[in-house]
Amino acid sequence: MRIRMTVMAGLATLAGSIGLYPLFMGGQWFWHALGAVVAVAAGAVVARRLRIPAALEPLGPAVALLLYCTLVFTAGRALVGIVPTPSSLAGLRDLISDGASTANRYAAPVPDERGIHLLVTIGVGAVATVVDLLAVRLRRAAPAGLPLLAMYSVPAAIREHGVNWLAFGLGAAGFLALLMADARESVGGWGRMVFSQRWHEESPGDRDAPDISSLATTGRRIGVTAVAVAVLLPMAVPGIHPRGVFGGKGTGPGGDGARTVTTPDPMVSLSRQLTNPDDGVVLTYETDDAEPPDYLRLYALDRFDGDRWTYSVASRAQDKLTDASLPAPPGLTVAPSRTVTTRVKVSKDLRDLQFLPMPYAPTRVRIKGEWRVHSPSLMVYSLRDGAGGKSFTVTSRRALPSPGDLQAGGTYTSDMLSEFTYLPKSVPDKVRRLAVQVTKGSRTPYESAVKLQSWFTQTGGFRYDLTVGTPEHGSDLVDFLTVDKRGYCEQFAAAMAVMARELGVPARVSVGYTAGKAVSPGRWEVRGRDAHAWPELYFDGAGWVRFEPTPSGTEGQGTATEPSYSLAGGGSGSGGSDTSNPQPLPSSSAGPGGRPTGGAHFRNDLPGAGGTAAPAPKKHKSGPGYAPWVAGGTLLVLLLAAAPAVRALTRRRRWSAALEPPPGPETARPGPDDPRGPRPRGAADAAHAAWRELRADAIDHGVPWPSSETPRATVRRLDDLLGLDDPAASALRRIARAEELARYAPVDRTPPPADLLRADVRTMRSAFASSATATARWRARLLPASTVAEARDAARVASERTARVTGRAEHTLARLVTRVRALLPTRSD
Amino acid sequence: MAVGMHGDPSTGTGRSAPAPRSGDGPADGSRNGLPVGLDDLARVSGRIRDAIETVVEGKPRAVRLALTVLLAEGHLLIEDVPGVGKTMLAKALARSVDCSVRRVQFTPDLLPSDITGVSAYNQERREFEFKPGPVFANIVVGDEINRASPKTQSALLECMEERQVTVDGTTYPLERPFMVIATQNPVEMEGTYPLPEAQRDRFTARISMGYPDPAAELEMLDAHGEANPLDDLEPVAHASDVRALIEVVRRQHVAASVRQYAIDLVTATRNHPELRLGASPRATLHLVRAARAYAALDDRDYVLPDDVQELAVPVLAHRLLPTAEAQVERRRPEHVLTELVHRLPVPSPRG
Repeated sequence: MRIRMTVMAGLATLAGSIGLYPLFMGGQWFWHALGAVVAVAAGAVVARRLRIPAALEPLGPAVALLLYCTLVFTAGRALVGIVPTPSSLAGLRDLISDGASTANRYAAPVPDERGIHLLVTIGVGAVATVVDLLAVRLRRAAPAGLPLLAMYSVPAAIREHGVNWLAFGLGAAGFLALLMADARESVGGWGRMVFSQRWHEESPGDRDAPDISSLATTGRRIGVTAVAVAVLLPMAVPGIHPRGVFGGKGTGPGGDGARTVTTPDPMVSLSRQLTNPDDGVVLTYETDDAEPPDYLRLYALDRFDGDRWTYSVASRAQDKLTDASLPAPPGLTVAPSRTVTTRVKVSKDLRDLQFLPMPYAPTRVRIKGEWRVHSPSLMVYSLRDGAGGKSFTVTSRRALPSPGDLQAGGTYTSDMLSEFTYLPKSVPDKVRRLAVQVTKGSRTPYESAVKLQSWFTQTGGFRYDLTVGTPEHGSDLVDFLTVDKRGYCEQFAAAMAVMARELGVPARVSVGYTAGKAVSPGRWEVRGRDAHAWPELYFDGAGWVRFEPTPSGTEGQGTATEPSYSLAGGGSGSGGSDTSNPQPLPSSSAGPGGRPTGGAHFRNDLPGAGGTAAPAPKKHKSGPGYAPWVAGGTLLVLLLAAAPAVRALTRRRRWSAALEPPPGPETARPGPDDPRGPRPRGAADAAHAAWRELRADAIDHGVPWPSSETPRATVRRLDDLLGLDDPAASALRRIARAEELARYAPVDRTPPPADLLRADVRTMRSAFASSATATARWRARLLPASTVAEARDAARVASERTARVTGRAEHTLARLVTRVRALLPTRSD
Repeated sequence: MAVGMHGDPSTGTGRSAPAPRSGDGPADGSRNGLPVGLDDLARVSGRIRDAIETVVEGKPRAVRLALTVLLAEGHLLIEDVPGVGKTMLAKALARSVDCSVRRVQFTPDLLPSDITGVSAYNQERREFEFKPGPVFANIVVGDEINRASPKTQSALLECMEERQVTVDGTTYPLERPFMVIATQNPVEMEGTYPLPEAQRDRFTARISMGYPDPAAELEMLDAHGEANPLDDLEPVAHASDVRALIEVVRRQHVAASVRQYAIDLVTATRNHPELRLGASPRATLHLVRAARAYAALDDRDYVLPDDVQELAVPVLAHRLLPTAEAQVERRRPEHVLTELVHRLPVPSPRG
């Protein structure tokens, strides 16, 4: 039945599309996906009715999809609401480009918009078309998984948290259902199966249908197991999913009912603004600050995922700004500061800006609308309103630390260190070595920071270049630092923040605008080209302090300024005396004048430096080189010892079970083979134990032990194989005879006592050993193969039990379904 | 009517009455003069074996299987090319037991009534009178059974399985022990009708003699040169002894795991891809019965999987039909069975 397969293909596509959920903000897109799948299925059915050749068949779904899109998105401009006209097609095209630009502008999840909906419709429709063609027309259900997988891999690739396991499970279940339906069809095509175990148990009504129930059961088990393994295995494998498969609960956004704030990727919009030829005015502001005023910050990116700097704001209701005052700026306690009032007017053209550009650190904001504050970083944002066209007044405290303040501020709490010096393991060691090398000789975080900045701006040989693409991967960063040395503010800021973190200095990257150009005294104008990114480093007492590694002036970011404290030996912290001079003072004059900070939590791996008492390294690097060898060696020894230990344990357990005094006759359990009465427990057990020991010894020494062999046959074979001498041969015969009696004889026959058998087994063991080669002997001692066999047996028993349990569950389920069906009113066919 | 039916002149049909016991009577050391235990069984069966082996040299396995079938209350099919001593074995077995023996020479024109017997009109008493056929004996030697038409072969069906004969609506029971020893040429030989499946299934075991080794053949030349050794064969056991031995065999212990093993083996033949027809439940029954007897002949009062393995080919092979593919590849059921025996796990406690 083609219809059934068509439906299954559609369902599989739909289930697979559930995996797309992390890409979108609302749930609206799903209905469009559903619509697309239905339209494609209908188109495919019609195409098959018309007997179009397979190569042309996708035309049917394509036409159906076009009609559907026209109907849903541009009905007003179409003929009779559904027939596409040039104008409706143009409308669709506009919507597509809208959607594309939205997708480009925003990091996932993207907002629900009509353009996005159209893209979803087309994308899911295309996947549905391919799946339908493969699974239904070409009868190749297995390759139909590839387009489904492609669809699934989109969110998995884009979102670092991956896709919820449930969504994955649903998608996988959809695909499995498709496979099952396909297999059912193809098996059904062959008619009745003759050699089925259960066909005669089927009710007479089902006789016509081939019995595939046992096959189906096996298939279901395999399918469920495969999905479960796919979901559970990554949890056990380190490195595949560092945050755990159920990520999003702990570190990820969305915990405790909070809502993730989505914005266009700051870095993406930054590079776009910088390269935009239309250098319009973004905002103007009036300030009572001394010249030049501080930068206007939009975002603080405090996470480095190995490739890029990102931020995550989980918005909660209590973050709402009720009165104008903001939380106190973190860390700004002892350093001198100046209160600055800035009135900002944002251009109307700046759409989709949900964050307020403000000088750091804002203390009071007066603005209309619903705004929220992210307390740790003091970012102010809105979930609803945009900043475009808004005017607001912000009061901020501008920190004016002196170099001395910063020298003293190199002591960090462990919270601070764990949060703001975290770097993923993927950051190459090269970066750390480079950072150490550049900051050689510095004894405080401040000195390191100054050296880093001057290395970027002067001594490192870096060049400002806007034509370089946005860095996408950690390797781009390394390239920038070591080979290329060309980039713009993003590379500089990101690289310096990473290197500062490598050195154990808390760092983050801020994105916003430079101060711009003064148009009249106290009045400044900021243009698109003034978009900027810069690193902020944390010093106790002064809080987050801006640094400027990007070259400024005509050869660099035109309006960038280096703060006076960042020029070692420069300003005295009087603020406002910053210079926009592109040739700042040579920093080499900055000798190690700062006073060393005893016990500073400043990581400096140079021997003898004050910072060697650093806390545990954040990157989990093992310090001394021999530790892994020691650990590995121990592990190896343990592994080597494990197998013989298990072997010895099994042996002891077997014999102790057999030798334990037989319980009273009333507690003796009946022999498993014999319904006639209880078998004396001890003797039979001893025989079994002896036999199993013999088997284990044989396997250990590489002597095969086929399961189809009876004890007698074994005796004959071993006798031939080992060339046993008389005592050993009779020992072997005694063991076999005891086992034979224990297994097959009537209960009144008693096998020989356990200690005799034990001696015989020992005799046999030495016979095995003497006939084996030296290698085999050592292997038997060190890596007894029988332990593996035991484990395999145990696993088999466990799997059989599991199968029994699942079988029972399936049976119950089937009965339940039957009952429910019986309750339902019968269809009148 | 060229019926090859005749009482064997030497054994005679009239010896159904208890015959004079030979020198070392089977009765010593037993209750009521009959063997009751394994040791009696060993002694009596040993005597029979020795007696047969004076006639059939160098075939201990065939002799042992024949004895096994006798004690398992089964029927024996001896299949081999002409001239290797099939009939000799059958007759030797028949004569070493002191009981009634009939020999039927199967020919293409043999009729069913020639086997079961006919109702003849008695002029004097003016009524029909049943004339029992040659099946009314303890041991029936059917020579060249596949020379007769299937119709006649089938006349044996009822008596072999149910040990009774029904003629004209009257059922006549057969005396115990009742054993059919049939010989046949391989079906490839000319002028043979293959036995129907139902008939084959009723034979407990099929054995083949095989050529004797040169030494045994030489000895045979010497022995047969002087006189027919069969003539010197004296019965060494009485029918009642055999009945008692059969009772002993019935009491043999078969552990549940061994029974399971037999079932596994038979089931495996039913599911084997190279077999068109697997073994029947009757085959399972025969297999376990024969294993009991085989174990008893080994002086054991319990059955081992070894016994089942030994008997798998003789007891099961003639009941199996290979598929066309297997036939083309010259895979005989014997091969399949041997392979199954080598593959099937032997029951052992716990896994």
